[in-house]
Formats: sequence, structure tokens, C-alpha cells
Amino acid sequence: MKLYNLGKVPWQESQLIYHALALCGEEALCLLSPASPYVCIGFHQDVTQEVDLEYCRQNHIPVFRREVGGGAVFLDGRQLFFQLILHRNSPHAPKRIDAFYRKFLQPIINVHHKIGVPASFKPVNDLMVGQRKISGTGVGEIGDSIAFVGNLILDFDYETMSRVLKIPDEKFRDKVKKTIEENLTTISRELGQESLNRWDEKTLNDLMSKEFEKILGPFTFGRMDAVLIDKIQELKTTMLDDGWIYKKAGQLTGRVVKVRAGLEMVQRMHKASGGLIKTNFEIREGKLANINISGDFFCFPHTLVQDMEKHLEGAALGDIREILMAVYDDPMNQIPGVTIEDWMMTIKK
Amino acid sequence: MEIHGYQMPENLYYEKNHYWVRIEGDILVMGMDDFAQKMAGDIVFVKIPFVGKKLQTGKKFAQVESGKWLGKVYAPVNGELIEGNEALEADPEFINQDCYGTGWMYKIKPVDMGEVENLIHGTDAIDKWLLADIEKYKEH
Repeated sequence: MKLYNLGKVPWQESQLIYHALALCGEEALCLLSPASPYVCIGFHQDVTQEVDLEYCRQNHIPVFRREVGGGAVFLDGRQLFFQLILHRNSPHAPKRIDAFYRKFLQPIINVHHKIGVPASFKPVNDLMVGQRKISGTGVGEIGDSIAFVGNLILDFDYETMSRVLKIPDEKFRDKVKKTIEENLTTISRELGQESLNRWDEKTLNDLMSKEFEKILGPFTFGRMDAVLIDKIQELKTTMLDDGWIYKKAGQLTGRVVKVRAGLEMVQRMHKASGGLIKTNFEIREGKLANINISGDFFCFPHTLVQDMEKHLEGAALGDIREILMAVYDDPMNQIPGVTIEDWMMTIKK
Repeated sequence: MEIHGYQMPENLYYEKNHYWVRIEGDILVMGMDDFAQKMAGDIVFVKIPFVGKKLQTGKKFAQVESGKWLGKVYAPVNGELIEGNEALEADPEFINQDCYGTGWMYKIKPVDMGEVENLIHGTDAIDKWLLADIEKYKEH
């Protein structure tokens, strides 16, 4: 298998190369990082709903849509990318999704251990240090290949990450930033800023290639040949085109920010006949947390919304309907024009 | 019928990548089978391609995302897409909740209805195929 140990590359190539290799059906490991920052959205996301495009334009931050799932992320040169491309039926690739991630995250875990970061695997695809995530990963089937992509996070710009996301109000943005800070760590945060002098890009890429060789066999040195360069050029015309980046997916009524496995921040809006309902909440390990309900609907008694928040706090997602039914069963409680179904629309992922 | 905890109705036809096909008059309805939806986990997105899209047996024509994996949907027969389940755009979890019912994915007008006979069908064939895949998925 080939190893493309490329170091810093133009931001577009940091994405296009693995798409090109996958479409060419060439198995390889790419180790690289972008020379300049950009935002990368998941395959099915609607960029106008997810990204503050005006902020990105003003700050010269381009946006790219990858053919891999997941959410919008801010990427820059302080994140070292690993991109493994395998044939769809490669004997190296376990069929089960969890086994696939477990196998191919092991080299990354080993690198973290070698440099003194106690990272561990959390199924299905997270790499954690304690309760904090330290690497983002995803898989996409591209052409007849599987592309497994992820990053070694030397340092992270939490401020810009929270700024590039399209979030309707600043309060929620501040909360998103704090939650990401609480739930995403980096190598420099774990080992100190000075550690980055020792663990520079070349050293870490060498460590990663050695660890991947243990499970994939020896690599040969990959060069950007004419076929690969042509494919990248061809992809530039499609994947950097506005039609691709702005393509619409399903309608979203709010925002879901996945912070790590088991923690999502949700903001929902729904127009019921009795008025607009807005909710902000977290889903922590399948349970509601920090729920906040607002809107322009009428309710009686005036403490009803607070009471509902109290009842819903800590509730499992499967119990929400029952809790709401208990609220509606009490004849003292009145929310004209807002049904249980309306609430179910706003208190969901 | 149930095979090792997976519901696999014996009256359906199955594409080898674990999509089921049901004959409804002169059209086919397809969706993800119970084995695939359990392996995938929570489905978060289903692509509904444009109506009229030409489908070629074994070629991908849509994507489905489980949050951890962006996978492909393969055409079970040659034909034309005549409808996608638009409810899945807002509620892709229907596939996890009811993969043979509300979680149906696409309706296809086949070029030749006889092609369904090339799919996996019949109790013995379904049983043999699924057991082999269960074994494959145990690897590693």
C-alpha cells in the first residue's frame, strides 16, 4: 500500500486527495494538513443552515462539502489529517462498523500513548481522554472504496469553531463554545503548549505511519502522479463548485450540534397554531439536560413552562410523550393551540 | 421469519447488500432490511434522488448515513425510480423503527419484473445467505 506523507498542502487538496484516490480505486494512507483554515461540512448538510457564510466570507474562510458524513467542522493546520483509503471489499476492512473503527483507530491511540496522552477508544468511533474527545473521525463509501478520515488535534481554535457555525442567537453560540471547550481536548491542552516543539508534524506523521504499518503491512512511497493530479483537477470542477457546496438536503427546523458521542446540543423551533415554540436542550447519554423552553404561545398557569422544564429534565427520550401526557391530563394546565405533537416536534433530535 | 434475532420476512426478495424488495402490482418497493439497520445504528439521513432516475442493477443510486458511516444504496434491478419516501427526509429514524413498513425507501418501475427472481428469495436461500453474512460480520 502507498503512503502519501505530504505535510502541508493547499486546503483544497487536503480534502480532494482522498476523494481522488478513492475514485481511482487506489489503496493508500495519506498524512497531511491544510496550509490554511476552512470549514468542512458533512455530506448531507445544508450549508446555509449550518454555516455562518457571511462570517466566513468576511474572514476569507472557504467552505467544502465532503463525501463523508458527520457535522460541520473548522479545520486548520494545527490538525494533522490521516486518511486511509481501502477497497470496499479489502480483507483489511472489518465488515462491522464498530470493528472497523476499533481496528483503524488503534494506531491513533498508540500514537497518543507514545507521546503521553492517555487516549482510549469509545465505541462507535470516538477517541477520548477522560470525558473529552481528542480526535474526530468518519467514514464514507466513495466510488468502490472506503475512505476513513480523521485528525490528530495539536491545538484547536474553539472561538473560530463556534463563530463559523450558523447559530441564531449569541447566547446559544456562547453555550456551544463552552460546551465544545468542555468536551473536546487537544494534545497541547493535555501536554502543554511547549510539547508541540517536540511533537512536530513530521515526527507525529512518522509515528502514525509506523503504527498503521503494523496492521496494514509495509508502505511504499507514494508520489502524486499524472493520474492522481488529473483526478484532483477534475474534482476541483465539481467539488469546489457552488452547486455542490450549496446543494440542499432535508429541511431543518433548528440546529443539532454533536459535541461528542453521547452529547448533542439541540435548538428547535416549531410553529404551532397557538404560537411559536422554541427549545434549547442537550441530549446527554440519551437523556434530556438543561432544557429551556420559550416562545410566544399562551399558557396557564404562568409557571407551567418552568414546571414542564423541571419534569423533562433528566428524562429519557422515550419517556417524553408520557411526561407531556401527564401535563395535559391535568385540567389546570392550559396551552391553547399547542398539542402534544407540537411538543414532540420540538423536543427531538 | 426470525434468524438469529433478525426479522427477515420470507415473502420478500433481498438484494445482497441487505435491501429488501416487495412486489406491489407492476412496481417494486424497496427498503433496508433488519440486519442492515441493526448493523448501521441510528440512520440520520437518506438521499431521495429525483423521480425518473434510471437505475442499473448493482449500481449505486443513493446514499444513506448512519452518523458513523456514509454508505450507498444499490439498485436491485434495472428500472426507473418513481417515488422516494419523503417522510424519511424529516424522520430517517423510521428505518430503525419499522424498516419493512413506514421506513420503506423507494418505489421502482422495473424494466423487467422477471429480474426480481435473480434476487435472494425463498426461506432456504434467505436463511443460508443471512447466516453466511452473520458469520462474515463476526470476523475481526
